[in-house]
Amino acid sequence: MLIQANQIFREAGERIVRGVADFLPGLLALAMVLLITIVLATIARMMIRRSLRGIDFDRRIHQWGLSALTEWSPSGSPALLVAGLAYWFILLVGLLIGLSALNINLTSALVLRLFEYLPNVLAAVLILIVGTLLARFLARGVLISAVNMQIQSARLLSLGVKWLVMVVAGAMALEHLGIGGQIVRMAFGILFGGIVLALALAVGLGSREMVSRSLERQAGKSEEEPEEQLRHL
Amino acid sequence: MAEADAVLHVPPVEDIGAADVVVGIATHDNRDTACEAVEAILAGVERHLSSRRAVLVHADGGSRDGTPERVREAVGKRIPLVQVSYPVYPVHKLLPPLAGVPGKAEALRATFALAGQLGSAACTLIDANVRGIHPEWVDVLVRPVLEHGFDFVAPRYQRRPFEGTIISGIVFPLVRALYGKRIRQPVGGDQAYSARFIEHCTTEGWDGETSLGTDLRLTLTAIAGEFRICQASLGERVVQAGDAQPDVSAVLAHVLGPLFETVDNTVSFWQRTRGSDAVPVFGSHPEIAGDPAPVNVRRMVESFRLGSQDLQEVWNAILPPATLLEFKKMARRPDEEFRMPDEVWARTIYDFALGYRLRVIDRNHLLRAMTPIYLGWLASFVNEMRDRPERVEERLEALCLVFEAQKRYLISRWRWPDRFRP
Repeated sequence: MLIQANQIFREAGERIVRGVADFLPGLLALAMVLLITIVLATIARMMIRRSLRGIDFDRRIHQWGLSALTEWSPSGSPALLVAGLAYWFILLVGLLIGLSALNINLTSALVLRLFEYLPNVLAAVLILIVGTLLARFLARGVLISAVNMQIQSARLLSLGVKWLVMVVAGAMALEHLGIGGQIVRMAFGILFGGIVLALALAVGLGSREMVSRSLERQAGKSEEEPEEQLRHL
Repeated sequence: MAEADAVLHVPPVEDIGAADVVVGIATHDNRDTACEAVEAILAGVERHLSSRRAVLVHADGGSRDGTPERVREAVGKRIPLVQVSYPVYPVHKLLPPLAGVPGKAEALRATFALAGQLGSAACTLIDANVRGIHPEWVDVLVRPVLEHGFDFVAPRYQRRPFEGTIISGIVFPLVRALYGKRIRQPVGGDQAYSARFIEHCTTEGWDGETSLGTDLRLTLTAIAGEFRICQASLGERVVQAGDAQPDVSAVLAHVLGPLFETVDNTVSFWQRTRGSDAVPVFGSHPEIAGDPAPVNVRRMVESFRLGSQDLQEVWNAILPPATLLEFKKMARRPDEEFRMPDEVWARTIYDFALGYRLRVIDRNHLLRAMTPIYLGWLASFVNEMRDRPERVEERLEALCLVFEAQKRYLISRWRWPDRFRP
């Protein structure tokens, strides 16, 4: 009985030692890959940062009208943002390669799934970036036009347009990521409808005075105010 | 796709022979005004240029309302006529109908080419989309070139007080301060050119997306090329009755876009220029005449206040903090006491020119974001001059001097744009 138990424990111990011995090279490989990746990512970040500073990237971003990127960047520098993104991207890829070196079915499958999922993530990030830039552009355009038309709720209108585009972009990004499914669609419908309703109210309330002024003018009630016939050119 | 690229009616140049003067008109669906313009021009030629051989060049941008036929009928055999058709691209037609004919650069190119072929000493191109063209215009425009050796004649139009303030409050002071020539109407549609100037333009080439842009580019070419420049006082230029007034922000974007573009392209020239020179004037019409145009100051001040309240984020990208602070103070004043100091106005224009160059925000947004500030300046100007409209011209002279004094500010900002940032 004692001998049998001893045998079982020895076999189990041997299996564990063999398992650890099998696992160790993979772990070492993971550590090595991670180390190399960190070094590579750091070098890449440094080089990208220097190159971008060399071409005065921050100022150019400003000149290309993408000033919004500044607000999203660490220390207000888009060059740092790009370098940081490249750093984390290399690190992520390194981690996935390192995990595959463990040669475990689970991790291999996980890595495979992650690599398959990566294009969706990139597409979603791209959609979000483009959506954000478009939202800011349209919001500013609406704000300026509304102020020039002397609409009192110009800011509200602009905010509505901004969130309208952001909500569309967010829903599209989630759709790409496959998160939420039906719930996202429903939430999008509710939010979109809500924003459109809010905008309609804003325009209605904002232009109320304008319409009444126009009607008063037509009815000849505000004769004290000269009609705007000025030729500016 | 261009709308027209075929020559309508060009008798061989040999048949016409040489010409002393080429009088050009540009049209695009202007059947009604074109005939009036032709009548006035023919009367002017018969009255003032009878001793010279004149040819009328009609450049048409593919009119579909029968303008070329009507012009042919109106001219008859009274003067040699050459009709050319120039292409009008969709982009020209999408622009707001502000001044001049669409695709004017092409009309000018065609007219210049014919003037060169005919060996004419002087050439003038008159926009035929306005009423009130007087026979005297031909003489006042062409005589300085033929008899006094000028190369470029810019028009001067008579305006009512407080009208044409985008020209008198922005374009004129800016061109004067930067390029050193006191040309009252740098974007005037009716100009005259010498053979030397035409040859220069044909050799060097020029461009202009809009009619105003083309006029401005030619004026600045004349200044930069150190050609002899004068002005022709033409009197009133009547814009077609019933024309809808485009909104102010569209006008501002339309005028200031080409102006700021040119400022950006001619840095080395204007940074060397100091002070300004008077430019001789032919003709005797007063610059400002008539009753002041009705102006609703309250609405303009309201627009400024709304801009000051809601456009801070946009203005912040263009203007330095000191100017924004001034705006906040101004917005608190009552309507009747609303004033914008000339220094603030001049610096604001210079800051917008720089912002346009640096593309701090989308250029169209930038130009349109200037509307409330422009209306604020106009309200201040009207408040100040309401009781003495006869002295508007003197007041504008003072404004121009401030623009000249503040040029140093523009030069330093242009060289070190970040210095004024907080």
